[in-house]
Amino acid sequence: MSETFADIPMIDARERVTGAIPMTIDQAMPGMAHVKVVRSPVPHGLIRSIETSEAARMPGVRAVLTGASLAELGVDPYYGGLRNDQPVLAIDKVRHEGEAVALVVADTEAQAEEAAGWIDVDFEELPFVTDAREAMTPEAPPIHDEWPDNDCGTWRLRHGDIETGWALADRVYEAEYTSPPASHVPMEPHVALARFEGDVLEVWTAAQAPYMVHTALKKTFGLPDERLRIKTFNLGGGYGAKGGVKIEPLVACAALAAGCPVRLVLTRPEVFNTLGKHAAHIALRTGVKTDGTIVARRVRAVFNAGAYAVSSPLGAGQAMTRASGPYRIPHVWIDSTARYTNTVPTGPFRGAMTSQLCWAYEQQMDDIAHDLGIDPIEIRRRNLLSDGDEFITGEKMHDVHFDELLDDVTEAIWSRGPADPAPAGRARGRGVAVMIKSTLTPSRSEARLRLDDDGMLTAFCATVEMGQGAGTTLMQMTAAYTGVPIERITIPLPDTFQAPFDTTTASSRATFSMGAAIKDAARKLKDELAGLAEEHLTTTAGELRFEGGTVFRAAAPERAVSYADLLREAELPALEVEGVFQSEGGMATLDPETGQGQASVHWHEGAVAVEIEVDLQTGKIEVLNCHGACYAGRVISPTRVRQQNEGNIIFGLGQALFEELVYDSGQLVNPNLSDYMIPSILDIPKRLTSSAVESLEPDPDVHGVGEMTIPCIAPAIGNALFAATGVRIHDLPMTPERVLRALRAREEAS
Amino acid sequence: MEITVTVNGEKTEADIEPRNLLVHFLREDLRLTGTHVGCDTSHCGACTVLLDGLPVKSCTVLAVQTDGRDVTTVEGLAQNGELHPIQEAFKEEHGLQCGFCTPGMMLTSAALLEQTPDPTEEDIRWALSGNICRCTGYMNIVKAVQWASSKMKAEATDSGS
Repeated sequence: MSETFADIPMIDARERVTGAIPMTIDQAMPGMAHVKVVRSPVPHGLIRSIETSEAARMPGVRAVLTGASLAELGVDPYYGGLRNDQPVLAIDKVRHEGEAVALVVADTEAQAEEAAGWIDVDFEELPFVTDAREAMTPEAPPIHDEWPDNDCGTWRLRHGDIETGWALADRVYEAEYTSPPASHVPMEPHVALARFEGDVLEVWTAAQAPYMVHTALKKTFGLPDERLRIKTFNLGGGYGAKGGVKIEPLVACAALAAGCPVRLVLTRPEVFNTLGKHAAHIALRTGVKTDGTIVARRVRAVFNAGAYAVSSPLGAGQAMTRASGPYRIPHVWIDSTARYTNTVPTGPFRGAMTSQLCWAYEQQMDDIAHDLGIDPIEIRRRNLLSDGDEFITGEKMHDVHFDELLDDVTEAIWSRGPADPAPAGRARGRGVAVMIKSTLTPSRSEARLRLDDDGMLTAFCATVEMGQGAGTTLMQMTAAYTGVPIERITIPLPDTFQAPFDTTTASSRATFSMGAAIKDAARKLKDELAGLAEEHLTTTAGELRFEGGTVFRAAAPERAVSYADLLREAELPALEVEGVFQSEGGMATLDPETGQGQASVHWHEGAVAVEIEVDLQTGKIEVLNCHGACYAGRVISPTRVRQQNEGNIIFGLGQALFEELVYDSGQLVNPNLSDYMIPSILDIPKRLTSSAVESLEPDPDVHGVGEMTIPCIAPAIGNALFAATGVRIHDLPMTPERVLRALRAREEAS
Repeated sequence: MEITVTVNGEKTEADIEPRNLLVHFLREDLRLTGTHVGCDTSHCGACTVLLDGLPVKSCTVLAVQTDGRDVTTVEGLAQNGELHPIQEAFKEEHGLQCGFCTPGMMLTSAALLEQTPDPTEEDIRWALSGNICRCTGYMNIVKAVQWASSKMKAEATDSGS
């Protein structure tokens, strides 16, 4: 059965415009003290000693902790998730500038900050490495003794036979592309509060994955489920920055040491020092026939994992499956690796890994088209994956709509006729890019529905609302699947004492996975209600319907009976059901030698086309028109899908044109919003539009749409720049300086 | 130091440390948590409030500087439970996602509309150039300010002023 959805505004929009929306940063625990962290000024060094006695004597100080004193607390000092390589506070050595070395708990933030300044750390500096390719060399300093060659995760994919591919090719193209480290910059910093209430550890945190925090803290403190309670509130942005576990173990250790509730709000520089985007070096070699058909592709991808693993061991593998683009290629060879360096740890960044790869393959696509004299749109059309095609992992593709996406975005930009002539001293051009991305697989979502005998329904789920509107979307789905009117439904904020397990709110999976779990629960609820309703529904004719909080047979709507009456008659105060979504396959199930298998439960698809203007005197790029499109399967809210597509594009515009974390002598020199600029309202295109392609199937997978256009924006601009000027930029971001140098180099060459 | 400041129409007396910033006074002392802090360096604009009707970044104003003056925060925009047109506009035009930058965006916009009731798109972009949003892509924020402008003009016409 196919439900209908109305494009309703966010259910909590009023709270969002009155400042009343509950966020973690606004929370206080009675009697709480404040945490300040002492961070390393050196990128790599041994800790010789830490002098804390002065700080401990400062007014208001309740506790001082170092890596060495963690042992006295009786906690497991290492956390991480995939690889537990990250200490709560540095133990014996530091691996990046900005790493947490000690902490102070005091009555006020000012006292904690003051005292933190009196902690004296003596380091023995070690040689450091900030570049991932240098980190692979034998001369590079080892960052973790247990991981030789600074290997944080290496994957390989062998599909077809690459030598056969090269033999088939009429021409072979080779180029290298780089992306710098960047920062997510959620406007709300990381913040967490913790307290021990009786024998329960309670942590309130601005996190995307309450259950990853739960799993991590279980390990830190050795607690059973019933003694560990994680709550999250509305997030002031996440984009991957708040995925997994971040400051929570540190904050919980501070609460334990101080013996009172504590809160830590990171400063903006500390946010920059907590997680970044993987810098990447992509070497791409592609063999094509003269008609533009791609027959072979080799990708060598090196990602900078930073000082700690976070998600990189898996991320390098996910990158591998996303590296060759949305194309049908018979012979593929991919090596993908993440390497430790002495920089800020990196992790999922909206459009994880895909942006760095799309920047490479979509720019090379245009170079190939240009060289062969084929239209850039036409060459894509000849190679894009279709339903039933074999992907580079060997899986048969389904639900594939790349042709429609390409048509949609090119129509939006090219159908307006030829570009208006540029003003003097400027050049205009158009460009397009298409991307493919896996979603986190396997993953699990559980939902619990409770129907009370007053007809009110509560949906307990651990999906985190961070502005994407997940709360509203899931509420709409709950209403549609259960037949309970939306105004009688509540979805409380995630609380692990109430909401069952969910892997994470990330990878554009919430609507798809949690939506499916709710659907499963709703089916069970309706089964129960149908059983209770049996004697009311005197006829067996007609389909059983669940609408408006009542159940009836289509043939006899006058016999409708309300859910509330059914429960009351049966003397049931409430009905509870649980639903589950579980996807199978994923990276761990791929053949380790060949990367063959089912990598993703379904594939994310997106495209962007742009028209830009380049100032030939300054090298500045201005995006005039932009259109993005995603495949959504089924759209729940056109407004929110549009917001995701367009918000994505502007988010990605930053990394395309100016965002870059700059390291000098191992120091991050721009960890603030003065020196690290993100797009302001003056940077946005005059015209920005988007669309969503839906499936024609009756009951398609609902695809997430959180990151479908971001990977495409930089290569689309790069291709437009090439169309406008004939220069090709290989290194992000496309700053005016870089563009100007390329323009001058071309002038000198000609 | 003793100060008297009118916050959202209510006269408030407070004894505050001279080092305290206005944003901390609002958030921690008065628990008006709708004013957010995003950067500590007056770049993001999340902490924007109105001081005597003009937008200021409250992380760059000392609380003692507000002595004898008028402060309006997002909590003071709605009157008698009725949303200010700019609040209605951000709601109606989906000029928000996570809502962290929204209070600052709305207060800056309200001040703009006070001075320029019929702003051009360019006016709106310039006025909001010191307020950063990482979620929305800004398009709907511009539409929201235009929506509020129309609504406020219509209201002004209706009331005959």
